[in-house]
Amino acid sequence: MSETTQRTTDMETENRTDTQTDPETTTGETEEQVQDEWRNYEFAGEPKLAVDDLDVYYGDDHALKGVSMDIPKNSVTALIGPSGCGKSTFLRCLNRMNDRVKSARIDGSVKLDGQEIYQEGVNLVELRKRVGMVFQSPNPFPKSIAENISYGPRKHGDIETGLLARLLGRANEDERDELVERCLRDAALWDEVSDRLDDNALGLSGGQQQRLCIARCLSVDPEVILMDEPASALDPIATAKIEDLIDDLSEHYTVVIVTHNMQQAARISDQTAVFLTGGELVEYDDTDKIFENPQSQRVEEYISGKFG
Amino acid sequence: MSTETDTRNPLVRDGAESTGLVAAGAVALAALLFALSLAALFQQLSLTDTLAGVPVSTFLGGALVVLGGAVVVFGVGSRLGYVETEPQASAGMVAGIAFGFVWFVAGGLVASQTIGVGTIGWLLSAIFVGGGVFAVSVVTREDIGSTLPAGVLTAFVGLVFVTGVIGPSWVWNLGWEQQASFTAGFTIPTLTLFSSLLSGWAAAKAYGGFGARGRHTGAYTLVYLNAVSIVGVLFILLAFTVYKGIGGVLNGFAVGAGVGPTSTVVLFGIAFSFDWPVYLPFVMNGVGLMNEFNGVLPAIVGTIWLVVGAVLFAVPLGVGAAIFLTEYAERGRFTQAVEVATNGLWSTPSIVFGLFGFAFLIPRFGNGKSLLAGMLTLGFMLLPLVVITSREAMLSVPDEYRDASAALGVTKWQTIRSVVLPAALPGVVTGIILGVGRIAGETAPILLTMAGGVFVPGSQTPDIVGGFAFTSSPPFVENPVLLDAASALPYQLYALITAGVGASGNVANPDEFKWATALVLLVVVLSFYAIGIAARYYFRRELNQ
Ligand SMILES: Nc1ncnc2c1ncn2[C@@H]1O[C@H](COP(=O)(O)OP(=O)(O)OP(=O)(O)O)[C@@H](O)[C@H]1O
Ligand SMILES: [Mg+2]
Repeated sequence: MSETTQRTTDMETENRTDTQTDPETTTGETEEQVQDEWRNYEFAGEPKLAVDDLDVYYGDDHALKGVSMDIPKNSVTALIGPSGCGKSTFLRCLNRMNDRVKSARIDGSVKLDGQEIYQEGVNLVELRKRVGMVFQSPNPFPKSIAENISYGPRKHGDIETGLLARLLGRANEDERDELVERCLRDAALWDEVSDRLDDNALGLSGGQQQRLCIARCLSVDPEVILMDEPASALDPIATAKIEDLIDDLSEHYTVVIVTHNMQQAARISDQTAVFLTGGELVEYDDTDKIFENPQSQRVEEYISGKFG
Repeated sequence: MSTETDTRNPLVRDGAESTGLVAAGAVALAALLFALSLAALFQQLSLTDTLAGVPVSTFLGGALVVLGGAVVVFGVGSRLGYVETEPQASAGMVAGIAFGFVWFVAGGLVASQTIGVGTIGWLLSAIFVGGGVFAVSVVTREDIGSTLPAGVLTAFVGLVFVTGVIGPSWVWNLGWEQQASFTAGFTIPTLTLFSSLLSGWAAAKAYGGFGARGRHTGAYTLVYLNAVSIVGVLFILLAFTVYKGIGGVLNGFAVGAGVGPTSTVVLFGIAFSFDWPVYLPFVMNGVGLMNEFNGVLPAIVGTIWLVVGAVLFAVPLGVGAAIFLTEYAERGRFTQAVEVATNGLWSTPSIVFGLFGFAFLIPRFGNGKSLLAGMLTLGFMLLPLVVITSREAMLSVPDEYRDASAALGVTKWQTIRSVVLPAALPGVVTGIILGVGRIAGETAPILLTMAGGVFVPGSQTPDIVGGFAFTSSPPFVENPVLLDAASALPYQLYALITAGVGASGNVANPDEFKWATALVLLVVVLSFYAIGIAARYYFRRELNQ
């Protein structure tokens, strides 16, 4: 039953891409190329996230053009493409962080576990608990390292600390300490900061801040983790640790990661989406196929470094 | 220092060369003259005293001649190649305009006052002299252009003092209706001040060897002298108040077991009594017939409660409004209008707030001047500044923090409370400090809303804490003390100053009492300030320890 529904959605997607691109074929080649190149990505099972014909405008700037893709559960999806092609924009649409950009207008549908997130009455707080995000530039709070990690769970009421909780006998500081340690270990940061958990996080190096933000994202235990270039400021050793982490995470979490590093995408991801300048999703398929046998001429050129 | 083939400027300059010493000495002399002229201006140094065996005015003149001469000698020496410097082609427009204007004034004054030509005559000569100096300083190379005009003028001013053309008893009557005149006591220090600044600037440039480095040294010296003089003037103001008031404050001061008044503290129904081991009557007493020493305790307590009340009223409201404006309201017409209105309110004269309190608040609080009316009036005055500064502080909290918090699934209000407010707190506290500094010294609103009296008896010390009582009917608490008239230091000071002869109450020496009140007011305001600074320091350290 559900599979058939899935099929129809897919078909609809295809049709819509056709109808949408047709009237816009004024510039000729590229739009037609997209059509020719397009091949729908098929996989077994339910998609965790189903994006359908997503358009994003910043003012008059059309930043994403009719993007449709289904992201399978418990897998790693890499988004690659030249700078400014809309990868971050796409990522931010998946937990509605783009709503916070005043000039942004979003058109289309994104379904999380089959539930539309762009509709009236969606609880954004709940959505963002389930779909966590690591930003492109590290943004720790001006608080201590431990507080950065425990912030989310504390605000959600999962962990209670402080005088009142202690008086009521509900304080679970041990749990908090465990959580802090686990998240920091997962993010490959524990060894470096274990002796200064109460220091301000702004005193960490750029790469350490980046890992702290990953740890902070893990602390609220989301189902989907969106990562925007999480390894851009890391040395090869830390990068390897983060890649291991992502690999582990993909057993229980759905990970969507933006990266500029092709080798990294090839190493860690199950499927890869290639965006090209202008905000179009040009090709989306199994990572092996994308890197070994891309359908699109332009994707091949981009991957081999000829085209940006 | 450098080899002949090396045409670049040397990387390391030896500052202790003998020629450099001339310039350094000139800078030091300029600084000394600057300090002396400030001292003379504030009458800490009399022009008729002798200094180094000569009258002060002659000494200043001689020193100016030496200073000007040194500057000229250094400039000419550099131009002729005796001194190694790196001058640029011209001293530049700024220096040219500055020198031109100064010479324009000097030329005009000499032509009109000494030579005595008519309006057209002095104007022409002033333009001629000013224009000429402008041309000289812009056209010639920097080492001449930036030293000669300054040095010659300084030496000229010095000569005028030395020859006694402007001596200690010199007066220039302007011939206006109000009998306005320039006396030597003002003119000599002022001219010395400006000349030493001008020459000090030139000498500092010379010391830096002209060029970019010289300009840096020159600007540095000017800014430094400026800052020092501002701090100096403020310090003199403060020292003056302390000097005049300390006697009155310390009147009857005693230390020892049991010399002070008895205080009673009630804790959990048990009363503890203890005697203060210090006795400082001026801050521990009111005014009374039986008092050996009188004091201003009621006004001190009144001021403290006034400020506490105003802060308690204004800060929650102001911060709340700022949160609404920055975090919730759509930025647009409305927020702009509110912004303009708050800025306007902050610049509203305090007497207008006072009048508002008088006409609006007093009829609602028992129709008499009261502490509560004063608190609220000052609270209304403080409100706009709290809104403005809190808003600025919240706007400067990076959006990244808000995004990070939102992405963790934290609600907006929790984000504001746990991330935005803590990050904005130092800025908010700064606003409160500034505002309290203003309202704690405010006289006009108090005059209209809570006026106490000239000499306030100790029995009128407001006891807000003790005044609270529970009642059986709504609102279940009452505090009649809040609705009593009370005094505050600035108002008491004002009343003391304007009180007529014979109104001296039981105070033996009203003048001493007045200055002591001023000193206590200063100390109370500075204490609030210190508390604010400490709070800000604490919140900052919390934020990035
Ligand atoms: N807040 C914004 N307001 C206006 N325009 C924006 C905004 N954010 C992004 N854009 C525009 O949208 C386009 C896509 O930006 P996006 O940040 O998604 O690129 P990206 O693929 O993540 O690039 P990079 O690899 O450099 O991070 C760009 O042209 C950019 O100028
Ligand atoms: Mg990006």
